Amino acid sequence: MIISLAGWLENLGLFAFIRSNGYAYPILLALHLTFISFFGVMILVTDIRLLGWGLRSQPVSDIIDQLRWPKRIGFLFVATMGFLLFGAKAEEYLHNRFFQLKLLLFTAIAIHALVFRPRVYNNANELDGAKSIPGQAKLAGAVSIFLWVSVACAGRGIGYLAAPFGLHYDRTVGVSAPAADIVAVHNTAVHNIGGERQEAQVARGNGHAH
Amino acid sequence: MLIENPLNSTELAFPILECFHIVGFAIGIGTIAIVDFRLLDLGLRHQSPAQITKDMSLWTLIGLSVAVFAGLLIFSTDPDHYYLNLAFDFKMIMLALAILFYYTVHRKVVFSSDPSPRHGKLVACFSLILWASVIFGGIAIGFVAEGLNFN
Repeated sequence: MIISLAGWLENLGLFAFIRSNGYAYPILLALHLTFISFFGVMILVTDIRLLGWGLRSQPVSDIIDQLRWPKRIGFLFVATMGFLLFGAKAEEYLHNRFFQLKLLLFTAIAIHALVFRPRVYNNANELDGAKSIPGQAKLAGAVSIFLWVSVACAGRGIGYLAAPFGLHYDRTVGVSAPAADIVAVHNTAVHNIGGERQEAQVARGNGHAH
Repeated sequence: MLIENPLNSTELAFPILECFHIVGFAIGIGTIAIVDFRLLDLGLRHQSPAQITKDMSLWTLIGLSVAVFAGLLIFSTDPDHYYLNLAFDFKMIMLALAILFYYTVHRKVVFSSDPSPRHGKLVACFSLILWASVIFGGIAIGFVAEGLNFN
């Protein structure tokens, strides 16, 4: 069911365009990473404050409260780019182990929020009064850093796995063959300068369609 | 004598280096961006740009250092692949400009005793554009074929 839903999604005009246009995918990917740098790091800055690794002269509540909305808006930006990238190759990504891991990590992040939001993030005024930051808040910060850094690494991992056979779209316009074959053909075409280069390129898993 | 780069003898080295590169540049650029947002009156408005820069500068330095060091190792796995790539050249130029800008003009405006808000906003926009173009250049490396390959 999910697979057929993915098949429907990726064949919508917008996503077919992203997949077939040579510029759309890299530009969306670059925007995805730019927004991660600009906004995602606000999460780490909050965690750094909770752990006492920086901004120690500033009240905890001040940092958490002021970054709350920028983080939400940033997440919207990053997730929008992520969804557009996903939609272009929805079925392939659902099969991708690193993509599955990324979804699992997001589930863990949701659980982190359920556990720590009422106790730490919505309770920051109490942290301001405390002499030292309680273990629970530090734990929240440490787990958050671990989960979000893992999400970034899993995201990079997605590009390293080749698409499985029998996908319901053509990776390149006008060519009809199993996706993995096309990747191989494409790599040969671009990197015909030397056999070694080509091999390196494959090992490098430039999984984004060129 | 040819010496084999040990980073090319294991398949895992490259992706792991990339993860360090990504997390490193995100921290480096993000801690600068948070100052830029402040200069644009967004985000940590209760703190001064100078205060945020002071508190974040160590993380900026750590992030950028990790990114550059991992980047050098990535470059070493196949130098030809990179310096013959126009996107790579573009990225290096933008990176040099961005770092230079951050440690000169950006710092001067942030730490000036009487900063003009107009200057601050201009500097912030320029800084964000510079760093974004470094990221765009980096992504483009994987999508363009090597240069000097005309035929």
